[in-house]
Amino acid sequence: MSAAREMLCDTARAVLAGASDIAPVEEAGFALLLVAEEGGGFGGDWGDAHAVLHIAGMSAPNIPVAAVILSGLGDVSMPHRAAATVSLMAGAMGQALALSIDHVNTRQQFGRPLGKFQAVQQSLAVMACEVAAVDAAAAAMAARLDASGFDADAAVFEIAAAKLRANRAVGVVTSIAHQVHGAIGFTEEYDLHRVTIPLMRWRGEHGNDAHWAQALGRQVAVLGGRGLWESLTARAG
Amino acid sequence: MQSFALYPFDPPGDVAALRADLRGWLAVNQPVDDIVARANCWASFDPDFSRALGAAGYVGMTLPAIYGGGDRHPLERYVVIEELLAAGAPVGAHWIADRQTGPLILRYGSDEQRERYLPGIAKGELYACIGLSEPGAGSDLAAVRTSARETAEGWRINGQKIWTTGAHFSHIMLALVRTEEGSERNAGLSQLLIDLDTPGITIRPIIDMAGNHDFNEVFFDDVLVPHGALVGTRGQGWKQVTAELGLERSGPERYLSSHALLVALIDAAGADPEPAIAGVIGKLTAEMWTLRQLSMSTAAKLAAGEDPMVEASVVKELGNAFEQDMPRRVQAIVDCAWDDKADLARLLRALLIASPSFSLRGGTREVIRGIIARGLGLR
Repeated sequence: MSAAREMLCDTARAVLAGASDIAPVEEAGFALLLVAEEGGGFGGDWGDAHAVLHIAGMSAPNIPVAAVILSGLGDVSMPHRAAATVSLMAGAMGQALALSIDHVNTRQQFGRPLGKFQAVQQSLAVMACEVAAVDAAAAAMAARLDASGFDADAAVFEIAAAKLRANRAVGVVTSIAHQVHGAIGFTEEYDLHRVTIPLMRWRGEHGNDAHWAQALGRQVAVLGGRGLWESLTARAG
Repeated sequence: MQSFALYPFDPPGDVAALRADLRGWLAVNQPVDDIVARANCWASFDPDFSRALGAAGYVGMTLPAIYGGGDRHPLERYVVIEELLAAGAPVGAHWIADRQTGPLILRYGSDEQRERYLPGIAKGELYACIGLSEPGAGSDLAAVRTSARETAEGWRINGQKIWTTGAHFSHIMLALVRTEEGSERNAGLSQLLIDLDTPGITIRPIIDMAGNHDFNEVFFDDVLVPHGALVGTRGQGWKQVTAELGLERSGPERYLSSHALLVALIDAAGADPEPAIAGVIGKLTAEMWTLRQLSMSTAAKLAAGEDPMVEASVVKELGNAFEQDMPRRVQAIVDCAWDDKADLARLLRALLIASPSFSLRGGTREVIRGIIARGLGLR
C-alpha cells in the first residue's frame, strides 16, 4: 500500500471510529476523495475509495459513507453504487470474522475455548474462505474501475461478478458468525449485529443476486464458452 | 490471515504474446479428442502431446536453461498452465513432474540428480509420481511407515504406498520414507528419488469408480537404491514435503477441472439463453472469476518467495467446492437423460462421477480447513 493510501486509511479510521452520523465524514472532506486534483479534489483512485469503504464497512456500516464518496463522481450510476457496496460488504465481513475469532478464542465451554473444537474450527475456516473471496473480488473490481477510469460500463463485468460473489457470501458469513457467537451475538448490546444487519440489507441493494446473475449471464452468453475465457484473460486485473 | 491482500499478478515480458503464441500452437497441436477428455484434463495421459509441448518450450519453463529448462518466471508458467487447462489439453503425463517434482529437485536435489532428471522433465518425457499415502497414512501423513535403511550399498526400502497417481506410467517416484529406525511422527522422515524400474518394486492398478486407472498400489520388497537417491537433507523430509504441497494446492487446476462443462453449458445455451440458465451462467462465472483472482494472487505471493500456506488452502477449498458443485448445478437446470449421448450430457455425467475425488486429492477438505483454522489462530 502506498504511503498516501496509508495516511488516508489512518484518517478514515480516526474519523469513523465511534462516529454516530455523517457530519465528521463530510467535514473530513471525503466527498473530494474521487474528485481530480485539478478540480480541487484529493485526486484519489478507486483503490483509495475501496480502502476507505472497507474501513467504513468494518467500523461504521450504518453511516452513508459511500454516498458521500460517490458524490465526488458527479455522474453516479447504479453499478457505481453496487461497486461501493461490495467494498463495504468486504469490510463488514472482515469485521464479522474478527469478532467471531475473538469470541471463540475467549468463550469457554466444556472446559476449553470454543475455538479448540474441530466443529467450530471447520465452520470458521468456511467463513474465512468466503471473506477471502469477497476481499479478492472487491480488490480486483477496484483495479478494473481504475483501469477503466471509473467507467462503470467498461467495468460492469467485474462489478457484476464481485457483487454476486459478495451477495453469495452474505448467507454463509452471517449465519456462521451468529452460530459461533451463540445467544450473546443476538443481543442488542453486543456488536455483531452492527455488521450482520447491514450485510443482510446490502445483499438486496444495488442489484440482488437475480439482477446481477441475469446481467452477467447474458453478457457471457454473447461471448460464448471460449469467448468468456478470452475476455477474462484480456481484461486488466 | 484476516485480510486477503491481493498480491499483484505481474509476470515479466509480453503476456498477451505468450498467450497468443500458445493458443496458436494449441490450435495446431492439441489432439482432436473427445470432449469428455477435456474435463479434468490434468488427469488425461498423452505422452505424445507432453513431448510436443516440451519441444515447444512449455514444460519445465521455470527450470534453468543448463538443465534444458526455459529460465522463465513462475508467473509466465502460470499463464501457460491456465491456458492449457482452459483449453482442456491432455497434460496429465508430465503434470506432476512439471508442477512439483522438477522444482523440488532443483531446490533440494544434488547436482547429479539435477543433471540426471531435469532435462527429461523439461522435454516432457520423464514422468514422476508422488509416494506419500500409505494404507495406514492417509490424511495422517506423519504415520508413514515405509522404511529405508542405509547400508553399505545404498538405501534398502521396504513397505507400501497407495493411491499413487500415475505410478504405472511414471519413471520416478519421489517418496517420503522413514530413514531413522524407531523415529515417530514427522521426525526421521526423508525423501528418496526412486527409479521405478528398480528390482523389487511391484505396481498394481486400482481402478476408480469411473472405471479409470489413475491410481495404484506400489510395493517395495527389499528395494536397493543408491545413496545418491536421497533428496535434500536426511531427516528433513516432512519440511520438504510441506513446502511441496504449497506448489500443489493453489494452482489453476484447483478450480478449472470442470471448466469444460461451463464452456459446454454456455455454448449449449446460445446467445440468448432463457433466464434460469442465464442466471446459473452468471453465478458460475462470478465464482470462477473470483477464484482466478485468488489463485493468481497466491501464485504471485509464492513467486515472490513467500509461503502462502493458508492462502493456498483457501484456493483449494473454494476451488474444489466450486468445481464439485458446478456439475450438480448444471444438472439441476439442464434436461438430459443419464445415458444421453450428447456432448453436454456425457461431460456432465463424467464430471458428476469424477467430482467426489476433487476434495480428496491433494489433501482432504477437512485437513485443508484445519490448516485454515490454524492460520486464523484457532489451533
